[in-house]
Amino acid sequence: MSEQSHMRSTRFRTEREADWRQLETLIEKTETKGVPSLSLEEAQQLAILYRKTATGLSVARDISMDRNLLVYLENLVARAFLAVYAPQESLSGVISRFFTASGPQAMRRSAGAIGLAFLAMTMGFFIAFALFGSDPAWFYTFIPADLAGERGPGASTEALRATLFQSEAQLAGQLGMFAAFLFSHNTRVALFAFALGVFACIPSFLLTLYNGLIIGAFAGLFAERDLGYELFGWLSIHGVTELSAIIIAAGGGFRMGFATLFPGEYSRKDALRIASRDAAKLAIIAAIMLLAAGLLEGFARQLIQNTEMRLLVGWSIGGLWLSWFLLAGRKAQ
Amino acid sequence: MSSTKMSAAQAARQQENKRRWFEVIPPEGVPVRFEIATLGARFTAQLADIGLTVGATLVLTFGLMLLAPALDEVVGVLVALLMLLIRAPYYIISELFWNGQTLGKRATKLRVIAADGRGLTTHGIVIRNLMKEVEVFMPGSLLIASSGLGWFWSAVLLLWIGIVLGVPLFNRQRSRIGDMLGNTIVVRVPRPVLLPDLADQSPTEAFIFSAEHLEHYGRFELETLETLLRRHPENETTPPDASIVAVASQIIKKIGYTEPVPDDQALAFLHAFYRAQRAFLENKQVYGDVRDDKHHNQKSDTTDV
Repeated sequence: MSEQSHMRSTRFRTEREADWRQLETLIEKTETKGVPSLSLEEAQQLAILYRKTATGLSVARDISMDRNLLVYLENLVARAFLAVYAPQESLSGVISRFFTASGPQAMRRSAGAIGLAFLAMTMGFFIAFALFGSDPAWFYTFIPADLAGERGPGASTEALRATLFQSEAQLAGQLGMFAAFLFSHNTRVALFAFALGVFACIPSFLLTLYNGLIIGAFAGLFAERDLGYELFGWLSIHGVTELSAIIIAAGGGFRMGFATLFPGEYSRKDALRIASRDAAKLAIIAAIMLLAAGLLEGFARQLIQNTEMRLLVGWSIGGLWLSWFLLAGRKAQ
Repeated sequence: MSSTKMSAAQAARQQENKRRWFEVIPPEGVPVRFEIATLGARFTAQLADIGLTVGATLVLTFGLMLLAPALDEVVGVLVALLMLLIRAPYYIISELFWNGQTLGKRATKLRVIAADGRGLTTHGIVIRNLMKEVEVFMPGSLLIASSGLGWFWSAVLLLWIGIVLGVPLFNRQRSRIGDMLGNTIVVRVPRPVLLPDLADQSPTEAFIFSAEHLEHYGRFELETLETLLRRHPENETTPPDASIVAVASQIIKKIGYTEPVPDDQALAFLHAFYRAQRAFLENKQVYGDVRDDKHHNQKSDTTDV
């Protein structure tokens, strides 16, 4: 009984060890240099040896009690599996696919959620605008003091006008402005509106509504001083992009919220997972738009001091975004 | 075995039970087992990656400041901006092209894999790292600058941190929210070395074991013996140490082996016994008699009668 030729597990190992060693070298090569470094022959060999060794592992689990061998084989098969099923993407492929197809497609699939976010913001805008019209004291209810700065109902019309047409010419100032924008209130709102959407949409809805309230109160103040048109221009140049980004981020949040509220035939976890496919793309689009808005606010708004030009630039950029969302990736669908 | 040996064996077994496994069933149908990474190892990998990205950011910042001295005034802003532009792309690109490994994960032998038994998807990698921004870095950086927040945002922040920390602590696969959404799992992929087969040596006729001798132990004891013998190969020339002699005499007593075994033959005896025991257990297993440990007799008594 103790004679080695009678031991199945030992014979099993001697018959296959050369294959395992060869597989190990191939895996080593893919792990350090990547799958493209393999020749066609080697790649075929990798796939064949992986299948052989996987079958060997299931046999070894039944017949061998050599712990070292089992641990080795399990890991070898695991690493071979990972090498064989490694993602075969190129960076340019991923990026171009996102921009030409999957990004805008996700936008179109989420039209309802984005529409809801748009509704929340416009609702907020009109509520605050109307309330400010009846009593300017509402201004401080909606707008935190640090955000208002010198732009309050107490400020003179001239001071308000100056906030719309100030210019910072140096690079450092502009970069500071850009960054200040990025880490500002609105970015935080966009992030939270997206991330908190999971909790049944409610936080996203409230945040978007609140953002609408803030803009509404500002609009009320400037309109009262007959600066409504100028404010519109000032806001348009970056705001078309920026507010759309917030709305899109909130739309992504709503997609996740819908999944938690109405998972349908899936479990909540699976429903969330499915919704996250589109929601993640909305988040990336929102991030790209916020970056663009930051550039516009930091640089373009300082360069263009004319309201008509601001309107033109702002809304034509908005038009570009819209045509991207509506037109790109139609054929691939 | 002696009482201290027992407790060591028990400790080893407890350690073994603490490890969590995840089974992937690839299209080939043979299940592949992965050990789920511990939170400690993931934290270490994360620290290494943060160190790398922060280092890269600082180097870039100094480079830019040398090129444009006007940027001196806004150095803090510059760092924050570059950080944002480097961090998420670093994680996403490295995990995509190094098959689920960042440099930190590579150093700690961790790896992201898809939980569905297929390859990692771009979407899975992107979403788990986007969520990392939201789960880890955003609250982290807000926490550092938390003095400027109002009570409302502070409360939101605390709630969020609580959720984010709680999720990986209380689920079996130690998944972050990003792992759940991306359907990914972080596992440990070590590289064990295939050692020589202990049973693959010319048989010694010096020790003969009968079936009664081999009835006592099961797979667990066999593997424990294997671990010991891996440290003491059969051709070891140094005189056997006390633990080898102790283990040998313990086994001799337990199995009722009557032939005398001199101390300097203890190691040879253990190797011979290992071979015999393994052949015996493997043979039993092929015929469906699986013996997990030395308590196998009691189990079969209770179930058979």
